[in-house]
Amino acid sequence: MTHPNGLRVGIGLDVAAQSRNPRDAQKKFWRALVARFDTVVDFVTLEDGFARPDGDGLDAVLLANWLAASSGNIGIIPGAAVNFLEPFHLSTAVATLDFVSEGRAGFLAQHDDGSRAVHARQAIGALNGFPAAESAALRQDALDVVDVVRGLWDSWEDGAVIRDKESQRFLDGSKLHYINFKGSGFQVLGPSITPRPPQGQPVVAAAYRHGEDSSVASAADIVFLHPDRLDIADVIRTIGTADKNRVRAFVADVIIDTAPKSVDDYVAQIGELARSGIAGIRLALSDPAAQAAYVIDELIPALRARSSVGPVATGPLRGRFGLPAAGNRYTNAA
Amino acid sequence: MTKKQVILGAQFPGVNNFTVWSDPAAGSQIEFSSFRHFTETVERGKFDFIFLAEGLRIREQKGRFHELDVAGRPNTLAILTALAAITEHVGLIGTLTTTFNEPYVLARQLATLNILSAGRAGWNVVTSPDAFTGANFRRADHLPHEQRYERARAFIEAAQSIWRSGEFSIRSKYFEIAGRSALERSPQGAPVIAQAGDSDEGREFAARHADLIYSRHGSLEAGQVFYADVKKRLARYDRSPDALKILPGANFVIGDTQEDASEKQEAIRLQQVSPKSAIVFLEQVWNRDLSSYDPDGPLPDIEPDVSGESLVQGRASNQDIKRRLETARSWREIAERDRLSIRELAIRVTARKQFVGTPESIADEINRYVQADAADGFVFAPHLTPGGFDEFVEKVVPVLQERGVYRREYAAATLRSNLGLPDPKEESPPLRHLSHTA
Repeated sequence: MTHPNGLRVGIGLDVAAQSRNPRDAQKKFWRALVARFDTVVDFVTLEDGFARPDGDGLDAVLLANWLAASSGNIGIIPGAAVNFLEPFHLSTAVATLDFVSEGRAGFLAQHDDGSRAVHARQAIGALNGFPAAESAALRQDALDVVDVVRGLWDSWEDGAVIRDKESQRFLDGSKLHYINFKGSGFQVLGPSITPRPPQGQPVVAAAYRHGEDSSVASAADIVFLHPDRLDIADVIRTIGTADKNRVRAFVADVIIDTAPKSVDDYVAQIGELARSGIAGIRLALSDPAAQAAYVIDELIPALRARSSVGPVATGPLRGRFGLPAAGNRYTNAA
Repeated sequence: MTKKQVILGAQFPGVNNFTVWSDPAAGSQIEFSSFRHFTETVERGKFDFIFLAEGLRIREQKGRFHELDVAGRPNTLAILTALAAITEHVGLIGTLTTTFNEPYVLARQLATLNILSAGRAGWNVVTSPDAFTGANFRRADHLPHEQRYERARAFIEAAQSIWRSGEFSIRSKYFEIAGRSALERSPQGAPVIAQAGDSDEGREFAARHADLIYSRHGSLEAGQVFYADVKKRLARYDRSPDALKILPGANFVIGDTQEDASEKQEAIRLQQVSPKSAIVFLEQVWNRDLSSYDPDGPLPDIEPDVSGESLVQGRASNQDIKRRLETARSWREIAERDRLSIRELAIRVTARKQFVGTPESIADEINRYVQADAADGFVFAPHLTPGGFDEFVEKVVPVLQERGVYRREYAAATLRSNLGLPDPKEESPPLRHLSHTA
């Protein structure tokens, strides 16, 4: 099936890769790059380099907040090493991103295992409440963090702030909720300190590769699919049926090589992908400064001319991916 | 000789009853437009920095969420980093606890803010006291009071080590961590460190580690005593008296005349201490349900409950149980002597240092404190979001500038330089007492 309004298109960037540049160059790079893409693509993802042994780089969630304040339309999805952060801080930081961007926010739940996890654990130390650097523990912890982050977003109902002079109350306490999460590794009581963000639920994204366990992808709203050895239609069927109550959008990664293929080759490749049931594509840029002109001036115009990619979307990030307006677990249950 | 220059900080109106939400001019406490307005205004007024407090759990009273005051705030680091994008000069200081953070994570986040703001990041270091807040965090293990300070010291030293060298390998009583941070130092070196403890321990901590101290001493005389005491301690750590700035918290009310200002102040105090707020305030000391008492009537004649657990959770200044009886006794004395109702008493005893008057008299009073070494400046908290500084910037700042004690333009690019702190390169000897393996 082909997406009726054309595919969404975004770019994928690696934050740590820029950390090798001097600090002023980094600032300029990010500001200029996002300004160029702001009205050209629907979203940007920012891979976070938490504790990467070759250099960590800027914190992606904070960088996202900085970019949100200086951009006007682009959706912003920073990565977060969920296993090594406090879910409470992550939830409020992404909610803040949603306030700053006025509904353009999401986050990418990064749950790296292997040596990345070992390095991350060395950087924070062996602490109570954090998972061991072992696949099953990291995966369960990632699922728990996603659940807690989402629960905290719901923990303030819309309209909790009443400013009622009559009763002298600023807040209606009956619209705040303990999330009372109790997992195998940690507990979080709630409610959040940050009111419900503009989208209610900012977008939760996860990446999926061939052969991986799909449970974290199943818990996400957007799943980025790495093309290597992957039968996309098959994955969409499998993950898509995991929890029928959740609407998910699948986005295929298109790796833009440092020596890019011809526009026609990419157009053909993406035209093929569009028939597999995806909602969008993410152009993974290994050298964004060098590749920006090609992507903006050649590739994307060609894709739009063939109608495989739709016009730039506006409004809340959820809507751009066809996700329904978010409900609230505490009001829906009533 | 040139006059001492006044330092001004701007606290974003917080989650407490000093922030008036019932006024028609009160705007959103959470929309980005409020933070934008607030920050752009104080930058126009050439303030040294904006300052955000911290609260990591919704406050409760009698087992229910506290409904009377403003609540709901952004993530501190996230909002400061967003504000860095729309400003060029003003410093960005956030209150961040060492208790529910880890050194590598927080050091990396502060370095990110420091780089993206080109050297305007500041960190007000606090520890968090209780299991109440801990219920929101992975690490449920809590340290006794003395160890919280000790861990905070080790935390700062670990963060400084990460900022200084990139490669870090730290083994101390509290941390066993290693890795590599690829973030270059910002133009101001490490973020500016602020601290608010008033105990002997807190003062020593500040003398050793802090660039700013946020104090609560209201009168000129009390301010001078505190100022002299803290500055004296710096020599012990080979630091010059200039290396630590002392900034009491304060409020202001501007009027066309002194009478006008006093009238406004009275009206604001009534907004801040609503009838219900007055009862809630008393309940913090009595530790009993006092909702049946008339806020406009006399104080309760029953004694505070000193047996049970505190009814109030999540406030910085929970009354020490032992002091409840004593506090109640002194309040009764004040109320009887001056014939005050519950609400009037609450207004009286919750008063903070206030500058109330015309723009000229406020500017002169600020300057008097600074020239008399009772302070190096002030951190002002207005009572309104987001326009609380509009009038101050329009009317008081020009008077300070005319007096020659406040900048007309930012002289430097970084927070550290604007504050008149020594260059970080002159003041970063390796910490001798830190146990490193690398």
